[in-house]
Amino acid sequence: MASKDLVLESAEDRNLRFERDALVFMDPLYAAALRYTKNPEDARDLVQDTYLKAFNSFHQFEEGTNLRAWLYRVLTTTFINSYRKNQRRPQLAAGELEDWQIAAAQTHTSDLGKSAETEALENLPDSDIKRALHEIPEEFRMAVYLADVEGFSYKEIAEIVNVPAGTVMSRLHRGRKLLREKLTDYAKELGYSTEPKKGEKP
Amino acid sequence: MSYIEEIPCIEVLSAVVFIVEGVKEDTRNPAAIESHLNSCPNCRAEVEHEQAMHILMQDVLRRSCDEKAPDDLHRSIHEELLRQVSGAGVTEVVTQISMTEISIELDEFGNVEHREIQIEQTQVLRFTDDKE
Repeated sequence: MASKDLVLESAEDRNLRFERDALVFMDPLYAAALRYTKNPEDARDLVQDTYLKAFNSFHQFEEGTNLRAWLYRVLTTTFINSYRKNQRRPQLAAGELEDWQIAAAQTHTSDLGKSAETEALENLPDSDIKRALHEIPEEFRMAVYLADVEGFSYKEIAEIVNVPAGTVMSRLHRGRKLLREKLTDYAKELGYSTEPKKGEKP
Repeated sequence: MSYIEEIPCIEVLSAVVFIVEGVKEDTRNPAAIESHLNSCPNCRAEVEHEQAMHILMQDVLRRSCDEKAPDDLHRSIHEELLRQVSGAGVTEVVTQISMTEISIELDEFGNVEHREIQIEQTQVLRFTDDKE
């Protein structure tokens, strides 16, 4: 037993430490919970459950390690174990994750296609961005959200979601691709052309 | 002298996600990718586009997903934590042991040596009622 374990922290002290260090992440955790559950009521409950679980296992958290990543892990585990049980969700076909590198093989994009894609993204309203995120499969959504919004590395995400790092990479790759396709579709609906412009009329 | 393998465009394009994540070193053959990018303008343009798109996507996603937790959630979590600490749902067993060892010695010169050693130990065990 490490000598640290012998130092008993009073319940009050522990509560103060938790409130000081952990509660500052409530807003980002809530935003993540909204992406996970897709509705404010469940997001609220999920964040509350997350904090209770985290508080009650706070003694297991090693001070000096990444508290933010730890809280996201509690959030993600809580969501996977409790919230999505009743949801019907599309299952990823077996083998789908392994052959992603073949699927990733693509041809070069034309310059015109590139600038059109950038423009389409820049012009989309926030509501469409969220809609697109909500429409991609959960595994992809979590990975993309944790990487691109929260800035976690793919190895940190592997810990948070509890899957191998290679799987995280494949989810990131496929998730981002799906997301971009959806956003490009929305942009087309809104009238932003993503096609290369042909000779315009004088 | 080290030999750098020549790889086709397709292999570089498959590794774009690693390059964009800034972890090219985690790919099978980082040196070959680097060397291919130096000599293939098409792949270089593709990687640059993907990097620009990645930054743009991050900006767009961060801008869109910045909801704040409602005030009543802050309140309710704070209150729930206080409840946890103040007892509801938690059983705290505090064991305090205090012991004093007293020894009195009389040596051959008639000196009295008096020693007192106090030993204190406190142990707190917390049991949390599992709601599930």
